[in-house]
Amino acid sequence: MSACSVTLRVNGSSARLEIDSRVTLLDALRDHLGLTGTKKGCDQGACGACTVLLDGRRVLSCLTLAAQSDGREVTTIEGLSGEDGELHPMQAAFVRHDGFQCGYCTPGQIMSAVALLEEGRAGSDEEIKEFMSGNLCRCGAYPNIRAAIRDVAQRPAT
Amino acid sequence: MTATSGPATGAPVDRVDGRLKVAGAAPYPSDVRYPDMAHAAFVRSTIAAGRILAIEVTAAEAVGGVQAIITHDNAPRLGRAAASVLGPPPPAPLQDDRILHNGQYVAVVVADTPQQAAEAARRVVVTYDRAEAALDLDDPRGESVANPFGWDAARGDVEAGLADADVVHEAVYTTADNTNNPLGLFTTVAAWQGDGLVLHDASQWTSNVRTTVAAAFGLPEPSVRVHAPYVGGGFGAGLRAWPHVVLAALAARVVRRPVKVTLTRPEMFTGVGHRPSTVQRLRVGAKRDGELVAIEHEALQSVAMEDDNLEPVSGVAADGYACANLSARDIQRRLNIPCPGSMRAPGHAQGSFALESALDELAYELRIDPLELRLRNYAETHPQLGLPWSSKALRECCAVGAERFGWTARDPRVASMTDGRWQVGYGLAGVSYPWWQVRCRVRVTIGADGTADVRSAATDIGTGTYTVMQQLAAELLGLELSQVRVGLGDSDMPWSPAAGGSGLTGALGNAVHLACKAVVERLGELGRRTGESYADVLARRGLTELSTDAESTPPDPQVLGMAPSGAFAAKFVEVHVDRDLGVIRIARIVSVVDGGRILNEKLARSQIVGGTIGGIGQAIFEETITDAETGRIANATFGDYLIPVNADVPDIEVTFVGGPDRMTPTGTKGIGEIGLAGIAPAVANAVFHATGRRIRSLPITIDRLLQP
Amino acid sequence: MRPFEYTSASDTAAAVEIVTGDPDAAYLAGGTTQVDLMLKDGVVEPRRLVDITRLPLRGIARIGDALHVGALTTMEELAADATVAERLPCVREALLHGASVQLRNMATIGGNVLQRTRCRYFRDPAVAACNKRAPGSGCAAIHGAARMHAILGASEHCIALHASDLCVALVALDAIVHVQGRDGERTVPLTELYVLPGDRPDVENVLVHGELITAIEVPLLPAGARSGYVKIRDRASYEFALVSVAAALVVEDGVIVQARVGLGGVGTIPWRARAAEQVLIGGRPGRALFAAAANAAIIDPYTVEGTRFKVTLAERAIVRALEDLVA
Repeated sequence: MSACSVTLRVNGSSARLEIDSRVTLLDALRDHLGLTGTKKGCDQGACGACTVLLDGRRVLSCLTLAAQSDGREVTTIEGLSGEDGELHPMQAAFVRHDGFQCGYCTPGQIMSAVALLEEGRAGSDEEIKEFMSGNLCRCGAYPNIRAAIRDVAQRPAT
Repeated sequence: MTATSGPATGAPVDRVDGRLKVAGAAPYPSDVRYPDMAHAAFVRSTIAAGRILAIEVTAAEAVGGVQAIITHDNAPRLGRAAASVLGPPPPAPLQDDRILHNGQYVAVVVADTPQQAAEAARRVVVTYDRAEAALDLDDPRGESVANPFGWDAARGDVEAGLADADVVHEAVYTTADNTNNPLGLFTTVAAWQGDGLVLHDASQWTSNVRTTVAAAFGLPEPSVRVHAPYVGGGFGAGLRAWPHVVLAALAARVVRRPVKVTLTRPEMFTGVGHRPSTVQRLRVGAKRDGELVAIEHEALQSVAMEDDNLEPVSGVAADGYACANLSARDIQRRLNIPCPGSMRAPGHAQGSFALESALDELAYELRIDPLELRLRNYAETHPQLGLPWSSKALRECCAVGAERFGWTARDPRVASMTDGRWQVGYGLAGVSYPWWQVRCRVRVTIGADGTADVRSAATDIGTGTYTVMQQLAAELLGLELSQVRVGLGDSDMPWSPAAGGSGLTGALGNAVHLACKAVVERLGELGRRTGESYADVLARRGLTELSTDAESTPPDPQVLGMAPSGAFAAKFVEVHVDRDLGVIRIARIVSVVDGGRILNEKLARSQIVGGTIGGIGQAIFEETITDAETGRIANATFGDYLIPVNADVPDIEVTFVGGPDRMTPTGTKGIGEIGLAGIAPAVANAVFHATGRRIRSLPITIDRLLQP
Repeated sequence: MRPFEYTSASDTAAAVEIVTGDPDAAYLAGGTTQVDLMLKDGVVEPRRLVDITRLPLRGIARIGDALHVGALTTMEELAADATVAERLPCVREALLHGASVQLRNMATIGGNVLQRTRCRYFRDPAVAACNKRAPGSGCAAIHGAARMHAILGASEHCIALHASDLCVALVALDAIVHVQGRDGERTVPLTELYVLPGDRPDVENVLVHGELITAIEVPLLPAGARSGYVKIRDRASYEFALVSVAAALVVEDGVIVQARVGLGGVGTIPWRARAAEQVLIGGRPGRALFAAAANAAIIDPYTVEGTRFKVTLAERAIVRALEDLVA
C-alpha cells in the first residue's frame, strides 16, 4: 500500500526503485543510490545542505518526495565533476578560496552557487549574499564562499 | 604576518582534504553503510522531572520492520568510565525510571528502515508521574555548587580595592543558552564484530568515545575502534560520547546487526550539550586615571541535575588585566535541563561579554577611550601566576587593529554618528584567551618509498589539522607536501586529546615535532649520507619502514619560568542600528590576532572568520528557549533558532601579529576559539555607542532594543 | 509519519474527485508545508497523498487588468514575471523576501495561500495544548516562546501566526482565489478565504475538504501607483517576518486617492489594515498622516509577553513602508 515505484534520473543515469512512499529524494539518493554527497543538515527545509538541481532548478531534496521526482532530471554534487574527475570550476574555486571548513554544508553550497550563476544572480556581493542565504554554514565560511562565487562569476565563459 | 615560517609551513596552501569535500566524497559517519544495517530512532521524555510509570509499545511493535524496542525495563546495566580531563562521561542511559530533563531518551526503537523506526518511535506511549522541575537559574530548588572546577581565583583585597576606587561600576549581565548546531546531524553507526565493536561517530575525540563505550559495555579498550575521519562540525558538541553513542552500540548488540542512528535537528538541541546561560555580577573599581584597583566577577551558570560540564566563566577576569585586587568566582546551579557542554570558547564566550561590557561602561564613566582604558591596565606579566608570558603581542593587536579599523575616527559621544536612517556605532573588546594543552601521541612512519605517514587518533573537524600537520611534518622531515600523508580520526591510532580547547594544534604539533626529529635522528643513526633519499637509506639497510611514536606533554610553567600564553586579540566592530525599527546589522569587523606561529595563513584566517561569525550569532541572534514547567526546548529547529546566514555577514578583516611562542618547539598557539571571543561584547559596546542603549543581556535583538 | 498511498494526478477533476471522496486524502504540491508537517513533524497524517504538481495549473496570464496565476506556479516563477515587476512591485518584493531560492523553486502560489502556521507548539505533537491541532486542548503558546506569534485576530484560544509574505501583499490587492470542487468552480476573495480562529482555530479557511485552488487572480494596481513591501526580521535574509507591511498608494495632485495596507507577522491570518487605509485616503502624504494611519491600523491587539513589542514595531513599520513609497 505504501510502496511505490519510481524512476530516478540522476546525473544522467536512470534507476528504477521500489520504495516506501515516505522516502524523500534526499534519502533515496543517499540510502538507495549510495550518492552520499548530498547532506542532511536539518531534514526540515531550513538549512540548504540537501540542495540538488531538479530539472535544472535548485530545490531542497529533504522536502521533496522521491516519488515526486519520478522521471525528472536530478543533478547532485557527484554529477558536477567531469568523467575524468576534473572538478567543476565552482568546486575548484571553493577549494582555492577555502569556502568551507568541516565540509558538510559544502555540496549544498556548491549546488546552490552553480544555480545562482545560472539564475544570473552573482552580479554583486549584495546579490550573492541574499541569494545564497538559504544555505547555512555553521563553520562560518560565508566570506570565502562569496569570494569563490565572485571568482567564477568574473571568469569569461568557456 | 610577522610569524616566522619554514619552507613548508606558513604557506597558504589549499586544504588537503578540499578536493574530497567539494566533490561530496569525504566520508562522514552519516555516509557509512553496512549490508543488513538497521536504523534506530529515539523516544524522548516530554516532561522535565519525574518518573516513568509505563511504556506502552504494542502499537510501535506492530509497525512493519520493527526489530527491537529498548527501554529501561529491558536495557542491561551499563558501566561508566572514569573522568577525563573534561570531567566524567555522561551517565549511562536507560538505567532507571527517573526523568531528569525534557528530551531525555526513554526508549530506542530499531527497525529495518529509518522511516519505520521513526514511525514506531512515535507510536510508543509513555506515561509519567510528573514532578516539579527546577528550570530557572534563580530557582533555589536547584542545588548550587560553589567553585565547581576548583578554578576560582583571588588576589589582594577586593573590598579594600573598591573602597579605594574613585569610580565603581556595578552591573549584572546575562547570556542566553546557545546551541552548538553543527550542520552535520550527529550520527553513530555501530557494528559488533565478534566481541569487538566498530563505531563510526561524529566525534571530536575518538579516544574518549572508545574509553566511554568500552566502560559502558565492560570491554577492554582495544576491542572498541572509533572512526571519525570527517565530522560535520562540532564546536564542542562532539567532545563527549553522549548517550546516543552508547545507545547505538546497545541497539546493535540487541538486534545483532549494524545499527545507524542519526539525531534529528530537534534532538541536536537536547542530546549533545549547549552553551549554558549565565547571570554575572561585576563590580569594577578604578582610579580616575583608569587604573583598575578591583575586579569582582561572580558568574552563575546552569548545569544538569546529574551530569557535569567544565565551563570556567569568571576566569576571564583573572587573566585579562593587571589589577591587584581580584575575586573571580563560578557557581553552578543544578537544573532539570539537558546537560550543557562546551560550545566554542566555553565559559569565555559568556565571561568576556560581561567583563568587556563592564570595562566599556567604566570607560564612559571615566571619560577615557575604551581602548586606552584597556592599554592602561595591560598585564605585562600573567596577573595570577606573576610569571612573564611565553608570548604576548596584545599591544600590537590593539595598535594594528585601531589603525586598520580607523578607531580614531570615532566620535566618542554616544548616538553621534549616523548614516541616513542608521545609527552607527563603533565598539571593541580585548581578548586574552586561556592556554590549554593535553598530552598527545603520534606515529610517524617512513615507508620503503621514502614517503611519510603521520597517524594519530586526533580528529579534523574542519579546522585544518590534516593540512597543517602535513605541512609541519613535511618541513621537519624535509619532504615535499605530496610525500606526507596524514591519517586521523581512528582510535586505533596513537592516543590523542580532543579537537577542542584550542589545544590540538599545539598538542599534536609538538608530538609531530618530536616524532619527526626522532625519525630524522634514527635515519642518521642508520648512516644516512648527506642528500641521500629516505628510500635509499631504508633499502640499503634492508628495512621496509621506519616508524616512531612520540608523545608531547604540556610544559610546566613553574619549571619553565613562564606563564603559558594562549592567543590574544583585539576586536573592532561597526554596527548599524535602524533608528526607528531597532534592526541591527553588523557593518564591519576587524580582528587582529596574536596566534603565535601560524602554520597556514589561509586556514588560520578561516578559523578566525568562522569564529567571528559564531560570535555574531551569540551577539544578536542565538537563544535557546526553554518552556516553563515542561522544560521543552521551544525553538529546536533551524527555522526557529537563528544562526547567521550569508546576508548577515560582512567581509571580515583578519590580521595576524606576533611571532612564535617561546614555550614549545612548534611555537603555535591555539586559534580555534579566539575568533569568537570578544565579538559579543564588541557588538554590545558598538550598539551602545550607536544608540545610547546599554544592553546587558544577550542576544541583543530588535525587541530588546525597542523596550523603553 | 504513518505510511500513505502516493498518487500522481494527471487530471484536475479526477484529483478533486479522489480527495473529496476520501476524508483521509490530501493534496501534495510543492511539499514545503505538507511534507514537513507529515514526515518531519508528524502533525498531519493523511493516508493518501494526491500529487498535483503535474496538473496543468501552472503559468501566468494577463487578462484585462488582472493577472491570472495558475496555482502551481512557483514563487520564483511569479517573482520573475515582467508584469509583476512592473505593476505589482509589492508582490515581487514579498515573494523575494520569503524563504530561500530553493524553497521558492518548490513552493507554489496555491500552497503559499494555504500554508500552515509555523507555531512550534502546533508543530510539535509532544505539546498537549494546541487548539488548532487538538480542539479544546488549550494553547501552550500564550505562556511560551511567543515572539513569532500573532497579535491581531488572536485570543487565548490561539495566537498562531499566518507567516506568509506573499499573502500580505495579495490581501492588500484584493486577490481572488479560484477554487474547483466536485460540484464545479467558484471564486472567493482572498480576504474572505481565511477564517479567524475564534474558539475553533482548527478551522482555517472556508474551503471544504477536496476543494482545490486552481488559480489566483490578482488585480493590477493602476498605472502610476506605488507599492512596496517592508519586512522586519532579525536576520538580513531567510527568516519569517517579525512584522511586515505591504503598502500601495495612488497619489493624485498631492492627495492620496487610493491606499492599500496589508500586515504580516502580526495576524492569525494575512491582515488587511482597512482602518489605516481610510485614514490615508484623502490625506496628504507625510509623516503625520502616516503615523495616524499606523495608529489606526492596530486595533485591539491581543498580546502576550513575547509579542508585546510588535504593536510598536508594526506601527513604525507601517510608517516606514509608506515613507519609502513617497520618498
